Amino acid sequence: MKLRRFRLGGAVAALLIACGSVGVATAEEDDRWWAPGEGRVFPATLDYPNEHGTLRVLLEGGPMETRGHPFFEPIGPYGRACVTCHQPADAMSLSAKSAQIQWERLGHKDPLFAPFDGSNCPDLPQEERESHSLLLDHGLIRIARPWPPRDFDGNPIKPDFDISVVRDPTGCNLSKEWGLPSPDPHISVYRRSRPVANFKYILAMGFNFDPKAGLPLPLDPETGEPASHNLMADGRVLSLASQMRDAASAHLGFLEELTPEDIDRIIDFEKRVFTAQQKNRFGGDVNAGGAEGGPLKLAESEPGRLGSQGIPVWSEFDAWANSDDPDISPEERAWRESVARGARNFRERMFLISDSAGITTPIGFGNPVRDRCAFCHNMSQMGMDVAPGQVDLGTTNLPFADPQPHLPLFKITCKAEPHPHYGREIYTYDPGYALTTGRCADVGRITLQSLRGLSARAPYFSNGSAKTLREVIEFYDRRYNIGYTEQEIEDLVNLMEAL
Amino acid sequence: MQGRFWRFVAAAVLVNVAVAAPAEQQIKPVVEQVGEEVRFITCPIYRDTDAGRKSGCWLGDRRETGTRFDITGSPTKPDWNHAVLVEGRVVEGDTQQCGGVLLEPVRVSVLHDQNCTRHMLPAEGFTGRRFSLPTRNIRPLYEPRELPKPPYQEKSFDIPFDFGRDYIVYQLSDYYIDKAVKYAIDIDASRVEITGYAATTPTTVSGQTLREPAELALRRAEVAREWLRRMGYPLDRVKIRAQTKAKVSDMEGADGLTEPSRRRVTLRVIP
Repeated sequence: MKLRRFRLGGAVAALLIACGSVGVATAEEDDRWWAPGEGRVFPATLDYPNEHGTLRVLLEGGPMETRGHPFFEPIGPYGRACVTCHQPADAMSLSAKSAQIQWERLGHKDPLFAPFDGSNCPDLPQEERESHSLLLDHGLIRIARPWPPRDFDGNPIKPDFDISVVRDPTGCNLSKEWGLPSPDPHISVYRRSRPVANFKYILAMGFNFDPKAGLPLPLDPETGEPASHNLMADGRVLSLASQMRDAASAHLGFLEELTPEDIDRIIDFEKRVFTAQQKNRFGGDVNAGGAEGGPLKLAESEPGRLGSQGIPVWSEFDAWANSDDPDISPEERAWRESVARGARNFRERMFLISDSAGITTPIGFGNPVRDRCAFCHNMSQMGMDVAPGQVDLGTTNLPFADPQPHLPLFKITCKAEPHPHYGREIYTYDPGYALTTGRCADVGRITLQSLRGLSARAPYFSNGSAKTLREVIEFYDRRYNIGYTEQEIEDLVNLMEAL
Repeated sequence: MQGRFWRFVAAAVLVNVAVAAPAEQQIKPVVEQVGEEVRFITCPIYRDTDAGRKSGCWLGDRRETGTRFDITGSPTKPDWNHAVLVEGRVVEGDTQQCGGVLLEPVRVSVLHDQNCTRHMLPAEGFTGRRFSLPTRNIRPLYEPRELPKPPYQEKSFDIPFDFGRDYIVYQLSDYYIDKAVKYAIDIDASRVEITGYAATTPTTVSGQTLREPAELALRRAEVAREWLRRMGYPLDRVKIRAQTKAKVSDMEGADGLTEPSRRRVTLRVIP
């Protein structure tokens, strides 16, 4: 039963949307969730309906037997597997909606809600929904970062800032067992799961240079080779192997080391997975009518190319700018043209970017600098940063971040140089990259991520602060005083739905 | 030559009277001479022109003379929250783009310890400068690269720096240090000697005494060594030293500007 491909008709998809999170576990929903150790075969092509259309997951060289495969088998005491937080139907990430459905099914007994990071704090009563509210309502996993930070070799770094807890709604940062006062001090931040797909792009190095650091790319301590430095929200690991070890100990509770064979098998799988939206509910296939959307194009294209010097970002949809196809409906045509306008807007609509470390400092672009979305989202086919992309958009730092009363708030006091934009004191929901580097100048810098498969993995931004794609655009509009028209917002949302 | 310049400035004033009243006050005759090298500290002004990406203008008023300069051409642009040290040469040029007397070449160093009130002017009819990729830039890894051919020569490479900083300036210093390190690796150099310099001799600029800290010379040299390490050159072949009271040099990356030529790292690559 679980080997079949999913090609649900519109009516069934609509039913799924209508069911939402009220706990109606349809047969289709059973298949959407990949529980650890199910032993399904991962097909070469998987289609999953979502509220915007259909997501497609491709496995190069598939199908693949998952029984016994370390990405899919439970390891550690919680019964979790990698797939628990990297669900194919959620573009190999984890949507808040999927978490809600699992809670309705199994409550805290589902391994997803493991105390260590699937709850707001391990010392909360685990059977209560409220103890898992950040995961259920915002799609957030607890990430416990050591304090003081450690470098890539695991050695403590002397940070150039102090951190204190202003507000601690989860209780975890002031916990004597799990927080800063504990014998092994940690800072708990709460972040979205990143997609485990399209890694060809995430690992690609267009340049052996990080202009944000003024240095060549960092070297992976294991291999001695340069790394793209585009993994993880806070850039704390440089390779997939390191990421796996980090996840195995932190998220899976695995006390032993993954074997080299396990790591090789997981990397092999991860590098072969491509995902993107394939079909839109209004516009049909995203690779029809001359467009080149969808995951197949991703799998076939060269990664790490700078859009401004090669294939312009999202030019896959240029053919839709003036669609004269007589066989499509007015509704399809309108949507396609909107996507093409959104793509052009993404590349050409200028606005003033200010006070955003990683863009306006330390690189000499100026503060402010007039540019467009594709300034940072510059990689062809992918929209991530070709250079290592740790940037402070203000999603986590006050005063730019929207109010997040459910998240802890930290006060950062810079001890050496003040932060170039915030001064000596910074209030933040998540120090981001600064928890890796120990530098006050990096507070709130978060690694840009892929823009693919967005329709399947709400909410957005590293702290889930945008519940919808529209809220993403509205955040940028507020943050940079862009002044988007309603039409521009709609076009950009439609573009993101198509990715 | 100088007469042509004044005629040009006068014409620019007339044109701007037609499009925007403030322009008349901004482009006025200046005390400085064409070809003169100027050095001053000021709070930068951003003019919100729009000729596409990175086309906004940066202006700096020289308080000593009242001249408003166009400092947009600097590889490092200002931060409107902080004062800047401006070093540049007065040239004849298109004042219609930004509304200031052009400095070219020009270097801007952001003085992070000196705060400014941010100020933005509207475009006021000025066009801004359409961005074009600077000629000094690092090329992508996927582009084919020509390797040096034997017999290999000993070569020295000078890397410029902004005042008071050890950060490699984007699309200027990176171009030179990338060339240096790749040459050392390509020819499998037997030795690389790095000398970091700092301009520690005090100078007075806009009433302030400026001097770089002595330890900056070593920090700059260490940045160059880190480039070598990260790009795979064996560090046991690297010798590093620091020198203060840096002298004026003929470094290409300073484009003939006097004071910026002192702030540098030299990599001597020996086959």
